[in-house]
Amino acid sequence: MQMIKLMVKDDVMSGVAKIPIEVDSLTPDNLFGKNEAEIKAVKVWWGNRQENTGDLFEVSVDGAAGSADEVKIVFEGDLTRVKHIGDGMKAGEIEAHGDVDMHCGAVMEGGRVTVKGNADCWAGREMRGGELVIEGDAADNLCAMYRGEMTGMTGGKVTVGGNAGECVGQYMAGGEIVIKGNADVLAGYAMRGGRIVIEGDAAIPGADMIKGEIIVKGDVEMLPSFKYIGVETIEAETYDKYIGDYAMGEKKAKGTLYVRKK
Amino acid sequence: MVEELRIKNGVVYDPINGVNGERREICIRDGKIVEDVMNPKVIDAEGKVVMPGGVDVHAHIAGGKVNSGRIFRPEDERRGREPKTKVCRSQSGYSVPNTFTTGYRYAKMGYTFVMEPAMPPLLARHTHEEFIDIPILDKAALPLIDNNWMTFDYVKSGDSEKLAAYIAWMIKATKGYGVKLVNPGGTDAWGWAKNQGLNDESEDWGITPAEIIRALAEANEKFEMPHAIHLHQNNLGHPGNFEMTLETYDVTEGVKASKDRSVTHLTHQQFFSYGGTSWKDFESQAKAIAEYVNKNEHVSIDTGTVILGDTTTMTADGPMEYSLYQITGRKWTNCDVELETGAGITPFLYSGKVGVHSIQWTIGLELMLLVKDPWKVALTTDHPNAGPFIGYPIVISTLMSKKRRDEVLSEIHSAVYDKSELPSIDREYDLNEIAIITRAGTAKILGLQEHGKGHLGVGADGDVAIYDISPEERDAGKIQRAFMNTKYTIKGGQIVVKDGEVVAAPEGRTFLVEPIFEDEEIYKEMLSDLETKFRDYYSVTMRNYPVQDAYTPHPYVIKAPMAK
Amino acid sequence: MTVVTDVVCPLCGSVCDDIEVEVEENKITKVIKGACAVGKSKLQGHERIKSPMIRVNGVLKECSYDEAIKKAAELLAKARRPLLYGWSSTVCEADKVGIALAEEIGGVVDNTASVCHGPSVLAIQDVGIPCCTLGQIKNRADLVIYWGSNPANAHMNHMKRYSYISKGYFLPGGKKDKKLAVVDVRETSTSKMAELFAQIEPGKDFLLFSAVRAVLMGYEDIVPDEVGGIPKEKIVTLANMIKESRFFITFFGMGVTQSRCRQNNIVNAIQTTRAGHLHTKGAIMPMRGHYNVNGFNQVCTWETGYPFAVDFSRGFAWYNPGETASTDLLGRGECDVALIIASDPASHFPADAVKHLARIPVIIIDPYHNPTTEFADIVIPSAICGIEAEGSVYRMDNVPIRVRKVVNTDYMSDEEIVERILEEVRAIKEKEGE
Ligand code: SF4
Repeated sequence: MQMIKLMVKDDVMSGVAKIPIEVDSLTPDNLFGKNEAEIKAVKVWWGNRQENTGDLFEVSVDGAAGSADEVKIVFEGDLTRVKHIGDGMKAGEIEAHGDVDMHCGAVMEGGRVTVKGNADCWAGREMRGGELVIEGDAADNLCAMYRGEMTGMTGGKVTVGGNAGECVGQYMAGGEIVIKGNADVLAGYAMRGGRIVIEGDAAIPGADMIKGEIIVKGDVEMLPSFKYIGVETIEAETYDKYIGDYAMGEKKAKGTLYVRKK
Repeated sequence: MVEELRIKNGVVYDPINGVNGERREICIRDGKIVEDVMNPKVIDAEGKVVMPGGVDVHAHIAGGKVNSGRIFRPEDERRGREPKTKVCRSQSGYSVPNTFTTGYRYAKMGYTFVMEPAMPPLLARHTHEEFIDIPILDKAALPLIDNNWMTFDYVKSGDSEKLAAYIAWMIKATKGYGVKLVNPGGTDAWGWAKNQGLNDESEDWGITPAEIIRALAEANEKFEMPHAIHLHQNNLGHPGNFEMTLETYDVTEGVKASKDRSVTHLTHQQFFSYGGTSWKDFESQAKAIAEYVNKNEHVSIDTGTVILGDTTTMTADGPMEYSLYQITGRKWTNCDVELETGAGITPFLYSGKVGVHSIQWTIGLELMLLVKDPWKVALTTDHPNAGPFIGYPIVISTLMSKKRRDEVLSEIHSAVYDKSELPSIDREYDLNEIAIITRAGTAKILGLQEHGKGHLGVGADGDVAIYDISPEERDAGKIQRAFMNTKYTIKGGQIVVKDGEVVAAPEGRTFLVEPIFEDEEIYKEMLSDLETKFRDYYSVTMRNYPVQDAYTPHPYVIKAPMAK
Repeated sequence: MTVVTDVVCPLCGSVCDDIEVEVEENKITKVIKGACAVGKSKLQGHERIKSPMIRVNGVLKECSYDEAIKKAAELLAKARRPLLYGWSSTVCEADKVGIALAEEIGGVVDNTASVCHGPSVLAIQDVGIPCCTLGQIKNRADLVIYWGSNPANAHMNHMKRYSYISKGYFLPGGKKDKKLAVVDVRETSTSKMAELFAQIEPGKDFLLFSAVRAVLMGYEDIVPDEVGGIPKEKIVTLANMIKESRFFITFFGMGVTQSRCRQNNIVNAIQTTRAGHLHTKGAIMPMRGHYNVNGFNQVCTWETGYPFAVDFSRGFAWYNPGETASTDLLGRGECDVALIIASDPASHFPADAVKHLARIPVIIIDPYHNPTTEFADIVIPSAICGIEAEGSVYRMDNVPIRVRKVVNTDYMSDEEIVERILEEVRAIKEKEGE
């Protein structure tokens, strides 16, 4: 096991402008096999210029790894302007201590990312596999598609300890999302597969969905275009079952929405 | 800029001048091919293939429709992006690349001229504004004149003189190059969500598409227009449409061409060569189409060959795009243009796993292989409808290699073995024939050979492509790579691509045709009819309509006097 | 005195082009016909910024164009996250240079769409848009729906020239031949003219669109008795009006784009048009504000692949509104320098965005004083496009029109100013040996 600690230097975020750092190059796959000096020399984008990791982060390396699977990266310091943490990662582990900026775990294929705080928009965007745990809240577009695409998340598992913003799992085609709190409007928008569990409340979930499953345990503001099917029991709890979205026409309305009975 | 260039030791293919793979020297001075030069920069093309700059007869590269395609496909734009360099602007896009990228990618393939084949007149300024931002290439655009209410009125009244006066006005007002038709009658009917077949009479106008086609062909031939009417006929993309295609070909039979060229250029005929009665028994009828072309001189065609993969379809044929979107359920943009035309756009995936798509792929190749005279058929993908233009090298290698065709056939849907002739065709194109279908023949179809395009004779434009393969090369992969990135592309005497990299990006020219209509009385009457249309039905004024000179900073004007 | 005809109004997205004005001593003295009240006042002009200015010790001091441009270039060349914002009330020729400048300095270029119709663009990127030019509406649309927009107040000429009140080829009787429906959260002058008015509860547009769609798709039975405060019968009536029309057009305004569900209201509005299209012919169009907001979107798209909010920090274009739009950047405090052209973010942006703007160096190019010039560090006055400078603009329906130069001026045009800044930036970068 190798542990790489990357701590954002204080002066980096102390200016009038808080310019984001983009760290898609700092994944276990990419850092595996590099020594401390080499890691410090890996380039990251900071605004319109590329900088050495070592100039923006305090870097410490501990232990050794036989593969990227055995690499764990820990981000510390003010991470609110650190974007693309774990973007595209395939293996290993990342832990972020604090609130992180956008695109955390985007297009991730494997490994595990844990955010000990909130995650800004597009966490888990177009995720393919692996596991993303956000202990706090997730902002809008969690596990959604990139603009214009018709495929969002296709695999993996995402857990949000708090609430989630708009359009959770938009165009989701596979995988699972669990929200412990509430989901803002349009969870599972245009969903084509996979499963979203919302333990709190949800506003107009399932719009334009043509496949997949949404389960809501709290209150739901319903769309007028879902058809009530009847009552169903899941894991010893009773749910109202709806099929939709009929706004897409009957042939396409193959999504399922379960709402827990009060 | 290098003023003098000498390309030596190359193996030259210059079909217009009858040069078929001969070692020749090419000399360029001040942008033109000359006999000899005194103090040139020398390019040693030892053993490499040298051709005139490529001429694309039909590719949707600029204008409102193309841009709507870009706007609604950020997912396409993020494919193929490249950062800015010292020479190049930043690049985005695959099937709908940004303007700069369009110029660079064509230049890398050795092309120096592209015809934008569908300019809605009301939006003509837009097309020209984008042209300004497409570097390197010379360009021209064909205004859509067939679903126009002025045209309808004159077809209905049989007033062929006024129709000629009107197309003269329109081509000048839009700074266009010729007459384009897209689903004549049908696109206007789409204003009510309807469509029209070749001989269906319009409820609103009392005329048929066949009448429109014939009338516009005749009007076109009243001038010495460099190009024939450019026709995307009715009923595109429907199973069994080949019969209507053949009927359409007959419509302009007997019209006398004012110049040495076809009377009707029929575009992307792959989409019109369909047999069967539904998608279930869909089959290729390319053979019937090719046989007609082989026997008749009044038609030329380009193919619209399919490139397997994802692309963006876009045409003025609004109803066609709607039916395509109905099949896929993907995003769909439509834009009707008042009194004139329309447009539809929807993304499409040609998949080798799907029988119909696989057959479509064979049809575009069959047409090229079954039409015997390569001067009558041009290579296009109807960019981006059947695939993006950067697929040309794939098509070239496929035409040149039966082996490659067999490989692809074995990988795609097996329906191709029953529903298409392609598996049984042995013909392989040679480099001379490739030169014809990609530059010499296309230049002739567009009437550009008189204006310096498509050949390397003295006086021609200094547009040259040098491909890094030996003339004997038979390996499809190597051929494809060579045609994708030239060793050199020279545009107007300037080296613009070297070793597959863009090294200079000068501005290109816009080619315009000015038909000269002589009878002033008739012209005035036409103008007064037109003023009424503007006053009552258009949403812009007649004075704000014509494209101002500011939009063609580098014009090349071709005068088209009345035919004798 | 001379009369100039076919003048194009450089104010709103209707881009009226049949205006006649009187010009005397190089000034527009009278608008004879064609323009609405707001257009008239724009054409006749008001007090201008007199000279370029640079802020020294907190006070704006007059200076030459050269000094202002040089200083602006220095700020932009060294910025790490510069923003170039505005571009909607100038011509495309200036927009082009602005995009080149953004590319050169690795900045973000964005126009006012991000605070008005950006959501419509995002919606179009999801589902496309069935649309048409305004003349098509005038000649064919027998059902006009205004949803969250009130043209009778905001775009009077729009109704007269192109929609409900105009006469067209297939509708020679004008409004006698047409129907008008309005959906809005409050009664408006437009809704008073309508045959059907649905007063919707705020934030419920998305639900109503889904209900109308469900009816259009044939599932009236599953729609509840009331949606967003609208009784089911009215929803069915609206759906039937759509079905029975020969050509229906929906115009939507900011009432739809800036309320709950934002761009997804428009996605659903477009989906509703698509559903209507199964029965008849339909189109839908955003009511655009600034005369050339669309023009910037067009130019930006053909030059970069994306319509607005384009981030060049990595050398290629990255587009992601929500992240790369000006309000995102400013609200998150990311920018270190901003160039504002032909726009007034101080009046239109959210408070936190304006606060950040006030903290960083700001360059503004504009003919007029506005609240943003109050805290700008460099102020560069420019010629008024459509009156003193010519160029391309794109009407709300994508029709390109060339605005005219009606009078002469000593002010530099937007295009020239930005071009000069770009040249200076290039010179600085060359010196740095980049
Ligand atoms: S409607 Fe708009 S464009 Fe027309 S005159 Fe009024 S402000 Fe100008």
